[in-house]
Amino acid sequence: MAEAILYDATKCMACRACQVACKQWNELPAEMTTNRGTYENPPDLSPHTWIKIKFIEVEKEGKLDWLFTRQACMHCTDASCAQVCPTGAISHQDGFVIIAQEWCIGCGYCIQACPFHVPHKDEVLGTARKCTSCIDRRSGGLEPACVKTCPTGALTFGDRNELVAEGRDRVEALKAEGYSNAYLYGDEELGGLHVLYVLDDSPAAYGLPESPQVAISASVGQWLSGILTAGVVAAVPFWLLFRRKKQIEAEQKSEVEGGVR
Amino acid sequence: MITWGAILWLYLWLAGMAGGAFFAAFVADRFTGGGNKSLLRLATYTGIPMAVIGVLLLVIDLGQPLRFWHLFTQFKVISPMSMGTWILLGWLIVAFTMVIAWWFENRVAEGTARRLRGLIGFMGWINLVFSVLLIAYTGVLLAVSSQSLWAGTVLLPALFVASAISTGIAVLVIAAVIANAISKGSLVELKLAINQLFGSTDWTVPNRTVARLAEADAIVIVVELAVLIGYAIWLTISTMAGAGEALGLLTTGALAAPFWVGVVVLALLAPLALDIANWGKEIEKKAVLRAILTSSTCVILGGLVLRAVIVMAGQM
Repeated sequence: MAEAILYDATKCMACRACQVACKQWNELPAEMTTNRGTYENPPDLSPHTWIKIKFIEVEKEGKLDWLFTRQACMHCTDASCAQVCPTGAISHQDGFVIIAQEWCIGCGYCIQACPFHVPHKDEVLGTARKCTSCIDRRSGGLEPACVKTCPTGALTFGDRNELVAEGRDRVEALKAEGYSNAYLYGDEELGGLHVLYVLDDSPAAYGLPESPQVAISASVGQWLSGILTAGVVAAVPFWLLFRRKKQIEAEQKSEVEGGVR
Repeated sequence: MITWGAILWLYLWLAGMAGGAFFAAFVADRFTGGGNKSLLRLATYTGIPMAVIGVLLLVIDLGQPLRFWHLFTQFKVISPMSMGTWILLGWLIVAFTMVIAWWFENRVAEGTARRLRGLIGFMGWINLVFSVLLIAYTGVLLAVSSQSLWAGTVLLPALFVASAISTGIAVLVIAAVIANAISKGSLVELKLAINQLFGSTDWTVPNRTVARLAEADAIVIVVELAVLIGYAIWLTISTMAGAGEALGLLTTGALAAPFWVGVVVLALLAPLALDIANWGKEIEKKAVLRAILTSSTCVILGGLVLRAVIVMAGQM
């Protein structure tokens, strides 16, 4: 059964209890940060911060409006990280994307491939780290720590099909209330995400990529571009300058010249 | 955040030169009907240490270097890094086989030597394929990602291939000039030691071939320049988020100085001007030889700067 997390941005009050719960359950150390003039903290995901709430400030009818969104692994069905991982350390379990810490070699390829810039390399452990979907809690029948702690019900956990249905209903309700851009992010994106977002505005307004692509989407073209260039180079300078006929001509010419001399 | 640093761009540069030199030498040798055997040997002997150093650098760069063998438990066509692992391994095994075959070639009876030469010829074709895949892979590795500077076009592998062949030719030119100097020189012991080590008595590369390599490099540089311009235009019009900004880092931003001086001038325009100025001139003249060697040195150093700025800017 494919499971998922549903995040309803309209219910999120950015208390960041999910951030604290994640750090506590996964025993992730706090990070030293400096005041940047925003409540958003820490500034980015890191090997020690697997979830954070993003504060987006927008002006709406002359007033400040806050858009809150959850930043963490999206647990993609078509997961670029798993596709490029050269050791097979990244796999799906119940729909969630897991990095096997004992098998990861710390090459950093998943970090470059993730369309959401989620995995980060832990310099001490030497491996790539990110949200595990609390696989340890789930295997014991518990829901992920972030979901468990959320006081407003902005996070729910369960069967993905049920959550998709719930999310679609919620988006319809928002549209009926006048939020014409309301959108369920993750329904279709990258083969379906296992973290679904109920948004009352467009994904772009929430800083989410409108049409994320898997890293390997242009692989064939990329290989061909390199191989064809080698072919062109073989043909143009080398065929022109080195082919035997040309060399023989050059030799004959030099012989003739030698004869005249 | 910079995850791939100096070690990675050094590796991409070394692997590119190893593959590029083999490619250039093999093609030059084949098109002349086997007339440039010593060039192919030089390419193999200089390419192996570069590839080996590159691989060692890569292993050191891993977060868990002792787990490098996990790479050999997978054959994953969709992962360029997995493919790169096997391509490099294949390239090195074939190159080593050729070195061993060459060593025995002058030490066995004529019948066996003929069979060895057949083997070397066959191995050369295989490593031509591995070389093309190797130099393409150094670009594909970056291009198959979500970093807009790398993945925003399909021209990054083309750019890296052109640069790899250009730097590979430059390595061949310098190696050939050194080999010629040693065989003409008076260091008898050094000559003997090299002959013992590699099993060869003939090291010289005809001056005409060296001059022609420099001319070939000039044309490859024109190709590289055209690809670079296409790459920049494509990124400018790319719909991928952040592509234009990433290009801006190179053209006007934090990495503008190394890009314009190190890539455009050092890797492309300066060697192109030197090669054109000395086109068709006799390499026996000291000034011409010096110009060609300067040009090759510029190409090699510029190739390193190209890898460095692309790898850095892609992650900024």
